[in-house]
Amino acid sequence: MSAPGTVRSDVAPLAVESVTLRFGGVTALSDVSFTVEPGAVHALIGPNGAGKSSCFNVISGLYRPTSGRVRLGEQDLTGTPPHRLAGLGVGRSFQNIALSPHSTVRDNVLLGRHPLTRGGFLAGGLRIGRRTEARHRARVEEICAFLGVADRLDSLVAALPYGVAKRVDIARALAVEPTVLLLDEPAAGLNATETAEMGVTIRDLADALGISVLLVEHDMGLVMGIADRVSVLDFGRLIADGPPEQVQADPEVVRAYLGVSE
Amino acid sequence: MSERVVTERSSVLVRLRTSWPSVAGVAVLLLVLLVFPVFAGVAYLKAGQYVLIGVVGAVGLTLLVGQAGQLSLAHPFFLLVGAVSYAVLAGDSGDSGDLVGLGLPPLLAVIGAVAICALVGLAFSPVSGRLRGIYLGVASLSLVFLGLYLGQSLDMLSGGTSTGRPPPTFDLFGFRFANSDPAPTILGVAIQKQQRLWYLFLVLAIVAYLLARGAVRSRVGRAWRAVRDNEAAATAMGVNVARAKAQAFTVSSAFAGLAGVMTALWLDLVKPDENEFIGTYSITVAISYLAMVLIGGLGSIPGAVAGAVLVNGLPQVLTLGATEFGWSIGTLSPVLISAFVYGAAIVLVVLFEPGGLAAIGRRLTTRQGDR
Ligand SMILES: Nc1ncnc2c1ncn2[C@@H]1O[C@H](COP(=O)(O)OP(=O)(O)OP(=O)(O)O)[C@@H](O)[C@H]1O
Ligand SMILES: [Mg+2]
Repeated sequence: MSAPGTVRSDVAPLAVESVTLRFGGVTALSDVSFTVEPGAVHALIGPNGAGKSSCFNVISGLYRPTSGRVRLGEQDLTGTPPHRLAGLGVGRSFQNIALSPHSTVRDNVLLGRHPLTRGGFLAGGLRIGRRTEARHRARVEEICAFLGVADRLDSLVAALPYGVAKRVDIARALAVEPTVLLLDEPAAGLNATETAEMGVTIRDLADALGISVLLVEHDMGLVMGIADRVSVLDFGRLIADGPPEQVQADPEVVRAYLGVSE
Repeated sequence: MSERVVTERSSVLVRLRTSWPSVAGVAVLLLVLLVFPVFAGVAYLKAGQYVLIGVVGAVGLTLLVGQAGQLSLAHPFFLLVGAVSYAVLAGDSGDSGDLVGLGLPPLLAVIGAVAICALVGLAFSPVSGRLRGIYLGVASLSLVFLGLYLGQSLDMLSGGTSTGRPPPTFDLFGFRFANSDPAPTILGVAIQKQQRLWYLFLVLAIVAYLLARGAVRSRVGRAWRAVRDNEAAATAMGVNVARAKAQAFTVSSAFAGLAGVMTALWLDLVKPDENEFIGTYSITVAISYLAMVLIGGLGSIPGAVAGAVLVNGLPQVLTLGATEFGWSIGTLSPVLISAFVYGAAIVLVVLFEPGGLAAIGRRLTTRQGDR
C-alpha cells in the first residue's frame, strides 16, 4: 500500500476537558477528560450505554456539552458550528455507513473535498476551476488506493459489499485531510479477516500520515492490537485511561466489563 | 508538468474516441433543432417553443427535487413572478396609464426577472429548509395560492384577470424578436417572430441545460446530494446544510423565473389565472412539472428534458393532430388524453423503473457500449 502523502507535522492534541452532558435526568457523560496525543491511535471503549457515542457527538459538534469543552490545539471546538469542523481538520466516519447509495464511490469521496474547495452554482455551472478539480480528483484516487478501494471508484455505493462500503466511508473522512480522524465502530459488522485488515489500515494511516485517530470500538482484539492509548467509559464516567496493557489489567475495567459486583 | 499536460491531452483523445457515437448524436440533434424552423410551420414552432419552456422549468425543478431532495409544488408561482417581473421591468404604463412599467431594455428585464425570482426563492428558504417531504410540498403549494391572490389583486403589476397586459417585445442589441419587413432568411425561409423566438428559446434551454449539468457534476451538486441523502454526514464533511438547501431553492426559482419570462413571450400575454386549478400558473402546472421530473428520473438533467418533451409536447402534438389531420378519440380533448398518458407514465415509472427515462436511456447506451 502506498502512503497517501507525507507525514503531517501540524497535528495538534485533541483535548476533551471536563465534559459533562445531560439529557434531562440522564447523565450521559460526567466530567470526562482525556487527550488524544498527536499521531496516536486512541481508543474509546466501554460497555453498552457507557456514553461513547455521546462523547463522539460532543467532539464532532452534534451535541453541545452541558459543561466543559473540547479543544484542538488552541482552537475551541465547543462553540464551533459542526459544519466548520471538517475545515479545522476533524474528519469522521459513521457507525451506520452514511454514504450516498446511488452515487459512485468517487463522488462520495469527493464530497470530503468540500471544505478544501470553493465555488457555488455559477462556478460549477460555468465549469470554473476545472484544473483544481482535477487535482482533487487525483488526490481522491490516491486516498482510495490507500484504503484498497481504487478498483471500485466508479461503482455505485449501493452495489458494494458491506466491508468495502465501510472503507469508502473512511476514505471520505480522510478526503477532508484531517489531522484528527474520528472513527465510529469501524469494524462493526465486519468478519474476522476484514476486522484484522481494518486494524492494519487504521494503524498504517496513523503512521503514514502522522494524524491522530480516535476510535470507538467494541472489538477488544482490534483495540488492544492497534491502540496506543485506551480510555474506558462506564456509566458516563472515565474509569481508566492509559496504555492498553495497563487498562486491560485494571480491576475496575474488568469489573465494568464482566459486570461483577463485590 | 509537461508530462501532465500530455497525459491530460491523451485522456481527452481517449474520451473522444470512446464517446464519438454520443458526440455525433448531439451534433445531429443540434442540426435538426437549428433547421427546425426551415421545415416546420408556425403551429409546430409554437409547439416546439412550449417544449423548450418546459425544459428550462423542469431542469430547474429536478435540481431541487431530485438533487437536493426538496419537494416543491411552487414552480407555477415562480413562473408567474418571472412573467410579471419581466412585464413590469421592460413594460410601459399601458394605454390608460394604470400599469407599472419601468421601460428597461428587455435583456436587462429578463436578467432582473430571473434575479427577482431567485431572491423570492431565497426568501422562502427559511421555510423550505425546515420542512421535509410532503410537508414541504404542501407548504410550497401555498405559494401557488399566494400567487393567484396577488396576481388578481395587484392589477397595476399583473394587468388583472380580465385583460392581463402585453409582455414587451424582446430585443437583443436592437434586433427585435418580432415580425419585420424585410426579414432575414435561412434557406429561403423568412425568419420572422416565431422563428426568432424558437432560436431564442433554444439558446436559453441549452444554456439552462449546460449550467445545470455543470453544477450537478461540481462541488454544489455533490453537496446537494449529500444533504438529500444524509444531513449528519453532509455536515461532517463540511457542508452547511441550511445554506445548501437555500441555494437549491434559489437556483430552482431562478430557472422557473426564466421559464416564466418565456411563457409570457410565448403566450404574448401576461395574465393571472382566474382560479387555482386550471391556467398557466395553476396547480395543474405544478403537477405537470413534477410529472416531468418523475418521468425523466429524479435528479437527471437529460431526464428532465425528456420529461418536458413528453409532458409539454404530447398535448401540443395531439392538438396539432386534431386541427391539421382531424385526429380524434371520441370527445376526449388532447389535454385530457395527454394527462392520462403522463399519469400512466408516472405509474409505470414508479412501479417498474424508479430511475425514469434517464435510467432506461443509460441501460440502452451501456448495453450498446458492451457489445
Ligand atoms: N439523544 C439522547 N437523548 C436522551 N438520552 C440519550 C441520548 N443519547 C444518549 N442517551 C443516553 O446516554 C447514555 C449514553 O449513551 P451512548 O449512546 O453515548 O452510549 P454508548 O456507549 O455509545 O453505547 P453503545 O455501546 O450501546 O452504543 C445512555 O443512557 C443513553 O440512553
Ligand atoms: Mg454507541
